[in-house]
Amino acid sequence: MNRELKNTLYTWAILIISCSLLVVPLPEFLSFFRLPWLSLAVIFFSIMTPAGFGVISAWIIGLLADVLQGNIFGGNAMALSLIAYLSYRFHLQIRVFPMWQMMLSVLLLLFLNELLVLWVDGIQGQMTFNYIRWLGIILGTLIWPIFMAFLLNLKSKIL
Amino acid sequence: MPLSGEATTTRSRGQYSTSKLLFFLILAFGLMYLDYKGQYLNKVRSYISVTTYPIHVVMNAPKNIFLKLTESMGQREKIILDNQKLKTENITLGSQIQKIYSLERENKRLRELLDSKPKTEDIFVLAEIVTENPDPFKHRIIINKGSKEDVHTNQTIADSKGIIGHVIRDQIFGSEVLLITDPEHAIPIEVARTGLRSIALGMGSYEEIKLSYLAVNTDIQKGDILLTSGLGGQYPVGYPVAIVDKISALEGESFLEVRAKPFANLTNINEVWVIQRAVDGAIEFE
Repeated sequence: MNRELKNTLYTWAILIISCSLLVVPLPEFLSFFRLPWLSLAVIFFSIMTPAGFGVISAWIIGLLADVLQGNIFGGNAMALSLIAYLSYRFHLQIRVFPMWQMMLSVLLLLFLNELLVLWVDGIQGQMTFNYIRWLGIILGTLIWPIFMAFLLNLKSKIL
Repeated sequence: MPLSGEATTTRSRGQYSTSKLLFFLILAFGLMYLDYKGQYLNKVRSYISVTTYPIHVVMNAPKNIFLKLTESMGQREKIILDNQKLKTENITLGSQIQKIYSLERENKRLRELLDSKPKTEDIFVLAEIVTENPDPFKHRIIINKGSKEDVHTNQTIADSKGIIGHVIRDQIFGSEVLLITDPEHAIPIEVARTGLRSIALGMGSYEEIKLSYLAVNTDIQKGDILLTSGLGGQYPVGYPVAIVDKISALEGESFLEVRAKPFANLTNINEVWVIQRAVDGAIEFE
């Protein structure tokens, strides 16, 4: 298998897994621990390995997430493709940032993603203020260094 | 900090071009508009769901297997106790059913006297829950019967005690169900004691639904049973929905605040009935 194909397979495997994690059933006391895995993965791929990823990939996986979560068709697709685009625009800067600035950028991107999803919900008239999702953004930011190191390590081991 | 050493900038620029982004954003907005305005996209969605249904099944497998295991590994004494309880329950239910036979006969005879068409019977299909929506404000579940087993949009879902909700989207192998407690849900009801008709709205809590716009002098009491009224043609007539739990008249308000507790066990749904209504069972307004 050549390198490029392997890279694509790796990317999509991670994307599908993070997409599945969105709907994993959690017991009541763990329900706050619902991280925006898919957004994190999209940001990771756009910043770290943009070659095997792109706006279209983000859009397609967003559509899959919409069907999976029973959301309006295209809501996540819109938000994630925009996030992928923005992360790529600044990926050269973000890559060389010190960790805390990198985490801050991730926080900003996750926040924007959440706002977009909330906006789409609001247009449909079902906007509910859900503190769990905002908590998820902060937890997602805190977990970013581990998340990034894990995916980079895994990649260098597999490829 | 480890960086991937690829010289990716020039190679990947095309995948993130602004024109591509704009095109796909517009496509996404178009899809959202179509999905919101009409149900045009349900076919597409049901085809994509063929790929997402296995994800749901796999992600929920540990939980479902665990539940099944705890059930089957339950202690012997508990099983014996359960068995005894079920036996007594069975006897009571059996004696109640005897009454129903005679009532049904009487009903049929009276209908014949009146020369009106007898009500046809509904068909019940047993289904199991696959997953609940993880968002605590979206009361939706997915069940394991879909259009392959003739479960379609708008069919009613109930458990042994009362109405749970209705199918909002049929997938091929499963279907999405909106619960009566979802903030978006409204169900036309009738108070069994007085025949008063109203609409019960979900509030985002599994324990209660509310009746709005009932005047302060409305005849409604705590303990009144709410049945489906069948108005609007969405739900079949006469299934139990909820029991009135709390009535408060706020001073200066012109409406009562009525809360009712659903009969169905919505926090712990396992097996449900899909009620496939006989064609002329309800009054339709078009």
